[in-house]
Amino acid sequence: MNFLTPFFLIGGLAIAAPVIFHLVRKITREKTAFSSLMFLLPSPPRLSQRHRLEHWLLLLLRCAALALLALGFARPFLRQAPVDDPTVALPRRMAILVDTSASLRREGLWEAARARVSDVLRRAGPTDQVAIYRFDQQATALVSFEDWNRTAPGDRVTFALGRVATLAPTWSGTHLGKALVTAAEALAEEEGKTAPGLRQIVLISDLQAGSRLDTLQAYEWPKGVDLLLETVVAKNSTNAGVQIVADGPDSTRAADAPVRVRVSNAAESKREQFQLGWTRTATNAAATTPAPADFVGPAIDAYVPPGQSRVFSLPLPKGEANRVQITLRGDDEPFDNSATFIPPVQQRATVLWLGADTAEEVRQPLFFLRRAFAETPRLAVQVVTQAPSAPRLPSDLAAAQIIFVGGAIPAETAAALRAQAEAGKVIVFALQKGDTTAGATLGALTGREPLRVAELRPAAYAMLAEIDFQHPLFAPFADPRFSDFTKIHFWQYRQFDAKALPGARVVARFDSGDPAMVDVPIGKGRLTVLASGWQPDDSQLAVSSKFVPLVWSLLELGGGLGSFVTQYAVGDPVNVPAGGATAVRGPDGIDVALAAGATSFSATVQPGLYEFTGGTRPVRFAVNLDANESRTAPLAADDLEQLGVRVSRGGAAPVVPVENKTLLQGIETENRQKLWRWFIAATLAVLLLETLLAGWTTRRRAAVTNEVSP
Amino acid sequence: MPSAPNAPALASAKLIDPQALMSIRSLELRARAVVEGFWSGMHRSPYHGFSVEFTEYRQYTPGDDPRYLDWRVYARSDRFFIKKYEDETNLRVHLVADQSRSMEYGSRGVTKSVYAATLAATLAYFLHLQGDAVGLMTFDERIREYLPARHRAGHLRQLMLALERPAGGRATDFTSPLERITALIRKRAMVVLVSDFLAPLDRLERNLAALAACGHEVTLFQVLDPAELNLGFDQPALFEDVESARTLYIDPAVARAGYVQKFTAHTAALQAMARKLGVTFHRLTTDQALELALFEFLQARMRRGRQFRRARNGGGT
Repeated sequence: MNFLTPFFLIGGLAIAAPVIFHLVRKITREKTAFSSLMFLLPSPPRLSQRHRLEHWLLLLLRCAALALLALGFARPFLRQAPVDDPTVALPRRMAILVDTSASLRREGLWEAARARVSDVLRRAGPTDQVAIYRFDQQATALVSFEDWNRTAPGDRVTFALGRVATLAPTWSGTHLGKALVTAAEALAEEEGKTAPGLRQIVLISDLQAGSRLDTLQAYEWPKGVDLLLETVVAKNSTNAGVQIVADGPDSTRAADAPVRVRVSNAAESKREQFQLGWTRTATNAAATTPAPADFVGPAIDAYVPPGQSRVFSLPLPKGEANRVQITLRGDDEPFDNSATFIPPVQQRATVLWLGADTAEEVRQPLFFLRRAFAETPRLAVQVVTQAPSAPRLPSDLAAAQIIFVGGAIPAETAAALRAQAEAGKVIVFALQKGDTTAGATLGALTGREPLRVAELRPAAYAMLAEIDFQHPLFAPFADPRFSDFTKIHFWQYRQFDAKALPGARVVARFDSGDPAMVDVPIGKGRLTVLASGWQPDDSQLAVSSKFVPLVWSLLELGGGLGSFVTQYAVGDPVNVPAGGATAVRGPDGIDVALAAGATSFSATVQPGLYEFTGGTRPVRFAVNLDANESRTAPLAADDLEQLGVRVSRGGAAPVVPVENKTLLQGIETENRQKLWRWFIAATLAVLLLETLLAGWTTRRRAAVTNEVSP
Repeated sequence: MPSAPNAPALASAKLIDPQALMSIRSLELRARAVVEGFWSGMHRSPYHGFSVEFTEYRQYTPGDDPRYLDWRVYARSDRFFIKKYEDETNLRVHLVADQSRSMEYGSRGVTKSVYAATLAATLAYFLHLQGDAVGLMTFDERIREYLPARHRAGHLRQLMLALERPAGGRATDFTSPLERITALIRKRAMVVLVSDFLAPLDRLERNLAALAACGHEVTLFQVLDPAELNLGFDQPALFEDVESARTLYIDPAVARAGYVQKFTAHTAALQAMARKLGVTFHRLTTDQALELALFEFLQARMRRGRQFRRARNGGGT
């Protein structure tokens, strides 16, 4: 048996105490009355020869209790052959996670991180298995377990360090949760193949507060996997970052309104006074390392206390809005001090109205349609009116995102419209009163025989009774707060057989059961048939609050609202806009070719201005740093533990000298065996026995005394 | 005056074992048993009278109180004689009994206080039989009971009751009872002090000297337990002083020599003091028969009477 803390065995000398106490003549607690103590002096207790053999069992028990206690405190363990020790015998599996997110660009951090990787690798034993992952938004294996095992044991560290040397911090955000899950799963994957040993994830990171951990919330951390934190600390604690507060597509702010910029200051920052302004965008690779440049126009002073963020309005410089970026000065760490901004552009959409009425007729459908598509700073809808009978070019029809048919149209127009619908257009056909050709038009549009359309006028009024809120048209009204259509009265409507239309989906029905709105797919596009007009002669729809959202839903169905987002974060995939772009020019001026038919571009690896080229028109978009990367205050290990991660708080363990390995093995063995618990339990048992025996002895003596002197 | 029984005669008589004696609950019966047992060891009649003082007639001289004239002698001889003898020859004995807590100690079933009370009762009964006036004072740290010296019916009974009353005191203080006795006794009397004398002796000496100076005859009975003589214990224990409740851990084997030395010195000092003051001193242990005490008492009395008479005759009075 070995002992972890053998010094406690000295405590075993306490056995001498009960031996001495047993030899000392017992000091009775019973008092003997005596007439006077005036002739007496107190006498010290003295050793008694006679008592040596008295209560020997009690003495043995007391000595045993003390000895067991001393043994327990000495932390005994049975040293076993290394073969029997599962954790020693089995190779340790270790996944090293190296953070390469943008926050590692801070001064000195990357060098420190590489040094840590080197330390950890050199600490690994010859039987250990090591895999190295780098992570920012994604975790990718740099050295897999297979790579490690394939390499000769002597070359493994060099091999791994060679791979690590190719790494550099990227501009991406830190998805720590995702990386931990990847590493934990990689460790768990091999479990079936080898017996489980000590599994460990070594995280080498600045562990910034902006790390995303949401993936861990839905992940059950595997048992037996420990996370060892190897945190690297930045030299400068001050860090502030800028982020553009982007306006949504529905924003009503003017296109040239001042840009709102959020400046966040890290909690540990020592500075709080910064300068914010526009600087010219560099067009070469040097853009990634912002060089001091003069502000274009006046800069504003930004006072942001540590740990807070404030939003500032920065007016766009006139005439240079497309060549400037927002820059923050006064910060120690420049990696997150600039943001690229593209001024918003008003989108345009065209709506074609085929009808006989004019815009001035206040009781006609066109009057209400024009007012429904009011212009906003982000979108201008042009309503083009054409007489149904007027000859028109296919390009006129193609230019419109959506075509409203508000009256009788010639058969050739109907055929042209059908061709447009098949190509992907949305045709809205509102059946009008007195349109005798409506049935024929409907048939022509759907490619069927003419339908029978009957005029119907309810006794009082009709209302929408059965609405399909699953349909995109009515989906915005699905909320019970907005789903009440009963206040819209229909004075008259046209009755037709929806079943006669191929693939028709009745979106809404009147309370009589007649279809009120039918959606018919035609080729790539669709035809929406309204059984009643929205003008006051037919119904109250145009004057209700539902009308405007409804026609905007129609426009959205027609693709008229497809505004292109211009602000992205690093790593975000960007949807390729329509127009046949063939390449993307990055901030460094290098073109990246787009694959044929690619719908998204995801190589947004660095912040700056990107441009889709080769299409009908160049489309620019800005890529900025993930806002969370600016939150560089350290993350508490407790936050990880709260998500179920087993954090080993060993910290940066020094390289263990060979002579200490035996001790460490001893500690491990002792921790596993925990023999001290048995010794303490035995001590308690012996003490219990001693108490019982002592009690019995005392009672027996008392009984004898009572018998002698009744 | 009848002579006292001699020692061999008493030794041959069957003495009552104190432990057996104390099993008699009534103090008066105990006293009677002792006295009668004492008489039974004597060859002369016990009822013959045992005057401790010589009686005499004195011729009347003008100025004497006519109440004390013996009218019977006057009728017979036509001369006035004063019955002075009754007044002067009848002994007044004041028993002063210590009832402090230390007297409650007894290692052999008989406590010192019971033994002392029986001794006092025996003396009282004996003296009462002789027609002497007997008074009693019990004390501990203060005076508990006081009965003046009288010889009348019922007085002995009262005295017995006072002796039987349980002691309530704690410490021993000789000063106040002895000062009180000194103040109370106007006439020459005999003072018998029964105590264990386990207290400092410095004040006792002063008080006894005052009593002796007043002409009173003082007799000290020191009542001790046999265990007090030689610390008769075997086992070490916590010893508790019954008076002060002080406790000491004592190993008798270790402490015995020192105890005996100090105890002997104390007793020797007491005896030396008695000798110096002309006070009779008797030491009794609770395992000694009470008849011996009575015998020693009478023997001392007789010895003293002889000395007195010799002194008087020698003086020509």
